[in-house]
Amino acid sequence: MNDFVEFFSFVDANIRYVTLGSVLLAASSAVVGCFTLLRKRALVGDAVAHSVLPGVCLAFILSGTKNPLILLVGAFVTGWLSLVSIDYITARSRIKEDTAIGLVLSVFFGIGILLLTSIQHSGDAAQSGLDKFLFGKAASLVGEDLIVFSAVAIVLLITTILFYKELKLLCFDEVYAKSIGFPVRSLELLLTTLTVFAVVVGIQAVGVVLMAAMLITPAAAARFWTERLGVMLVLAALIGAFSGIAGAFVSYTAPAMPTGPWIVLIVSMIAIISFALAPKRGWVARLLRQRKNKTQILEENLLKLLYQLGEAHEDYFSNRNLESILERRNFPKRQALAGLAKLKRQGYIQRHPDGWSLTIEGEARGKRVVRLHRLWELYLTQYLQLASDHVHEDAETIEHIITPELEKRLMEELNYPALDPHQTRIP
Amino acid sequence: MILHVEHPVVEVHDLTVSYERKPVLWGIDLTLPAGSLVGVIGPNGAGKSTLIKAIMDLLPASSGYVRIFDEPIKQVRKRISYVPQRESVDWDFPASVFDVVLMGRYGNLGLFNRPRKADKDAAMQALEKVGMQAFANRQISQLSGGQQQRVFLARALAQNADIYFMDEPFAGVDIATETAIIELLRTMREQGKTVIVVHHDLQSASQYFDWVILLNMRLVASGPTEQVLTQELLEQTYGGKLTVLSKVGDLLRKQEFPVREKRS
Repeated sequence: MNDFVEFFSFVDANIRYVTLGSVLLAASSAVVGCFTLLRKRALVGDAVAHSVLPGVCLAFILSGTKNPLILLVGAFVTGWLSLVSIDYITARSRIKEDTAIGLVLSVFFGIGILLLTSIQHSGDAAQSGLDKFLFGKAASLVGEDLIVFSAVAIVLLITTILFYKELKLLCFDEVYAKSIGFPVRSLELLLTTLTVFAVVVGIQAVGVVLMAAMLITPAAAARFWTERLGVMLVLAALIGAFSGIAGAFVSYTAPAMPTGPWIVLIVSMIAIISFALAPKRGWVARLLRQRKNKTQILEENLLKLLYQLGEAHEDYFSNRNLESILERRNFPKRQALAGLAKLKRQGYIQRHPDGWSLTIEGEARGKRVVRLHRLWELYLTQYLQLASDHVHEDAETIEHIITPELEKRLMEELNYPALDPHQTRIP
Repeated sequence: MILHVEHPVVEVHDLTVSYERKPVLWGIDLTLPAGSLVGVIGPNGAGKSTLIKAIMDLLPASSGYVRIFDEPIKQVRKRISYVPQRESVDWDFPASVFDVVLMGRYGNLGLFNRPRKADKDAAMQALEKVGMQAFANRQISQLSGGQQQRVFLARALAQNADIYFMDEPFAGVDIATETAIIELLRTMREQGKTVIVVHHDLQSASQYFDWVILLNMRLVASGPTEQVLTQELLEQTYGGKLTVLSKVGDLLRKQEFPVREKRS
């Protein structure tokens, strides 16, 4: 708890820097990731992230220092090379893109691990800390590192904002972009370069192994909450920033802990929550919608039945007991009782000692369902030329979803009919 | 029956286009008159979409050249508008109808510039022309097929171009949309615009177009509708595949042969 207060009071200048750095890195890669995701190149980001490792190691071997600028250049070169390789393999051979990505990822990462291991065994004292590139260490974001990586992150953000319109069109409709004279190839190159840079700065905090999650997961989570690209970018940046802070905190309180897995766990939690809870697109919203449909169908079926009983007895408002309801249609008893209780609460039916009766509103709603059912049967026989004994099942579902506007259209097209295909009156 | 015109808006000369080395269009030579409604007609796999894409330089040509308004395409891009096939994009993209129509203005805006008020006005007018103004703020993922097609049309209209290339605008749309679109195309023709439409329905072709291009891997005919839509020419277009032609194409791909010899 003390750690928590100490960290989030931001008194320590070091903590301020580390937090600021993590936020910038995570937010910038999340924003770039939105476009990578929409361009359906999420896996490519993963390949780039893994391919950055040999570049970092090579840069260290050649220069003998851990100067962030030099390491960054090395990372950029191999990251970019991996992308070019993927494109080249896909364009010039029979190998499909997913296979090419797998190939490039494993080959580059393999070389990276090889180089890293040989550096670690070389006994060079300067090498300590190079392994943080594997799983990330946000707390080491200080001094020169912080300045360089933050600068790149800011450049990334500004570039994305500057090219917002172009990137948007590129991701939505590349061919059209080309037709209005957009430099599509250059834009693609730009997006590729942005992706590589986002990966390169992000690995400081998350490490190469899990960097793809930083690029794609915030974007995927944000997509659940909005239908606007602008909002999606901001949301992804916020989600990224939040996990960045969380990662910095973990890295600060438990220095032995690698930051990457923590950040990724947090951002994945946010993604899972988004997947479950987001309005409209979310899983819970879908379940609720289905439940609502189910209860609506049950209630309307009960009302319809009570109305049909009324038709049979030419008396719509008398009491009907449970037996006569279940006799007509085989509802599970518990469901029927629950539905009846709910309809009573809603004021569509009344409860009597010996059964239930329709209220005026209930009669109207039951009548409407019966009418829609028969109208739809008539429509199917007239417009789809279906046999009259084949239309009932269809109408059982459709009767619940026809809107008042559609009902009006149906009435017009059927020329205000009086009888359904079974020669029953349409109420 | 390949009719050439004086002062054409589109001039295609000896155009051959290949996919993965296999030629799908052989030596197309045609000219189109200004202010006409042109239908590109032929069976599946005849290369109709390929032809308009190659004319717009969206696909590389193996040989030949294209001139539009007597200029190379790169110089007249702003006067050309393209309506791609509806299925060519993912409609589950986070954008509203208005966003998509506004994209029609991007070409005039140039890099970095944000859409101005005038661009938004133009986009709104384009939406009105296709009867979709009420849908401006609707998410594109919620549109029906016909509505998607109208949005694409509005995007092209927002460009205020002089020549329009449309890829199957009538495919999979409802009757109301089809009538609305053809009315719109006729109005555009009256304003002196040239509209080139890839079309798959022979029945309506004779009513819709005043110039028809018959295509089946090679150009069968190009001319005024009544002279081109004849029994004989249609049989040439639809009847019997040119087996030798496609066999040669397959060979070119398999042997990795160049479609044209390199001139030294």
